[in-house]
Formats: sequence, C-alpha cells, structure tokens
Amino acid sequence: MRTFALAASCALLGAAAADARPVSYEGGWTVIGESDRESTSLLTHYTPHHEWSVGLKAEWMRDSDILFTGVQATHLIKRWFAPDSQANLYAFASAGIAEGIDANPMHAEAAGLVGVMADWETRRWFVSYEARVSDFGSGFDAMQAARVGVAPYVGDFGDLHTWLMLEVDQRPERDEPVTVTPLVRFFKGSFLLELGYTPAVDEPYASFTYRF
Amino acid sequence: MIRMFVTVSALAPALVFAGFGAAHAQPAGHDGHGENHGQDHGDNHAHQGETLQPTLHEDIEAALAEGGSLVVAEVNGMVCDFCATAMTRTFGRRDEIGAVHVDLDTKTLQLVIREGLAMDDATITDLVTRSGYQLASIRRGAGA
Repeated sequence: MRTFALAASCALLGAAAADARPVSYEGGWTVIGESDRESTSLLTHYTPHHEWSVGLKAEWMRDSDILFTGVQATHLIKRWFAPDSQANLYAFASAGIAEGIDANPMHAEAAGLVGVMADWETRRWFVSYEARVSDFGSGFDAMQAARVGVAPYVGDFGDLHTWLMLEVDQRPERDEPVTVTPLVRFFKGSFLLELGYTPAVDEPYASFTYRF
Repeated sequence: MIRMFVTVSALAPALVFAGFGAAHAQPAGHDGHGENHGQDHGDNHAHQGETLQPTLHEDIEAALAEGGSLVVAEVNGMVCDFCATAMTRTFGRRDEIGAVHVDLDTKTLQLVIREGLAMDDATITDLVTRSGYQLASIRRGAGA
C-alpha cells in the first residue's frame, strides 16, 4: 500500500521515461509513461522552445525499491529533415532525489541521470537508439537500447496507425544483460500506446505518450 | 509483474493532474479546425519521394467558401500524427487562420487565411519552425 501511495505521489509530481517524442512544439505539453522490465516511470514535460523541453519525472526501480523524483531537461541537438523522413538527436539530463521505499531503508539522497537518444523514421520505417547512465544512490548504472519498427500499412493524419517493433536492450549489471522485447505500437492523433513482452525476464512492456 | 500493473494504475491520477481529461481541446479560438482528418485520402498515398497534388479537406473547402484565401505549404519531416498535431495546434491558435489541415500523403500544410486578414511568408515559416519542422515551399491562391 505504501508503494502504491508513493508511486502515485511520484506520478503526481510528473516524471521519467526518456523515450519517444521528448520535445514537442512550442507551447505543447506531453505526458510519457513507461513500464519496462526494470522500472516504471512517468515524465510530464513542457516545450518552451522547439529545441528544448523541461519537465517533472518520477521513476520507480521495482527490484531495488528505489524511487527517483526530479526535474528533466531535454535538448534537441539536431533534427534532419527530408520530404519523407526525419531524424533526431537528443540529449537529456535529470536531477533530483532517490530514496528507498517499502523494505529499502535507503535515505533520500541526490540522484540523477544523463543520456542521449537518436531516431530516424519515415511513415513506414522506424529506427531508434538510446543510452543512459544513472546514479540513483546505489552507484552508476548504464543501459542502452535499440529499436526497429515497421508499419504494415500507411495511414493519414487521424487514422489509427499500427507499428510492429522489436527492441533490444543491454543492462550489463543484470542477470539477464541482454533482452529482446517485441511490441506493438498504436498511434492515433495525439495518443500513442505501446504494448509488449520481454520473454527472458517474463515481464510485460507498456508505454503511452499523450501530447496536448 | 503484478507490482508493475499496480504502479501503472497508480499513475492514473497523474494523467488527470496533467490535463489528460482535456484531451482534444484546441488551444484557442478555432476548435475543431483541421481535426477531422484522414477521410478523403485513402487512395492518395504517396510513394517515397513522390509528390501528389493535395486534395482539399472539407474544413478547408468550407473556410474558402466563407471568403478566405488558400495557402498550401510543403513541409519537410512530417511523418506522423504528432507532426500533424504540432502544426494544427500551432496554426490553429492564430486569429488569421480560418482552417488548417495537414495532409501527410502530400506532405502539405493547408491553410485558409480569413477574409480581410493576412499572414506573410515569414510568419508561416516561423510558425512551421516553432512547430519543429522545416518549410519547403509556399503556394498561394490559384497557384496553391
């Protein structure tokens, strides 16, 4: 129950996953939630300039029962445009506090993370890469992930878009350092939903992005 | 796994906090313009690198019938609904705009400037940039 309350609190503060669409149009808000094989997070960000977003983030490391809450800034370093595609390179950093919850007695202490993301997409194909290093009070922790996706059909604005994707992630410190997660992305208007499963660790994957 | 779903359910209040319930509210003034998309383009998909003649959306036609003037802008990098949403929200806030529509097939932004008002090319270019994209060309009136 305490975990539930704390997770709800951190969610109310805004929060965490550095995933797709980290910078919006000027004046736009975005909510990104993600639950992968290791953590559950939420990031609410605002875009004051088309190359920057700032937001509140919370991330719960489920196995270690560590809750991170803080602020996150994301910078669009470069966007490459073509008539039928775009590619993006982002850098992001979060700073805040990590503390133990439930059975973890860890006291609150300064914590943070830094990372980079890159993606390239057309209306048919999608490729992305993300890497980050975090310190949530228990030392440095690194991860990287790459994803490929294909849309079986191409729809226009407002249609329901469907993507079939495959993500490979590496977390060197884990018992299962490399896992593969097949997932399906549904995308319509301002809402994006992803559902998947990581067989190696028997964990579901879910994420959503909502832009307004 | 159960804990993960518990946490996901715990995130629900955050969505309310963040305004999730206000889902499709337009920022100001022009609610609904350009939001009714994807109806007339089922057989109009472009192959990579191919340029198609844009089909005017019904909202655009309606705004033109009220005396507005048409502007069609080709925009680079529009590949998804978030791109289109960025454009419709950014332009939809402006008083000069009577209707806005994005056609991903033709990679065009269709605008109707209200009768008696104007929006110059520099402003359109700036708004496209603020949306996060890159203007390729602008056509007006009969040339659009």
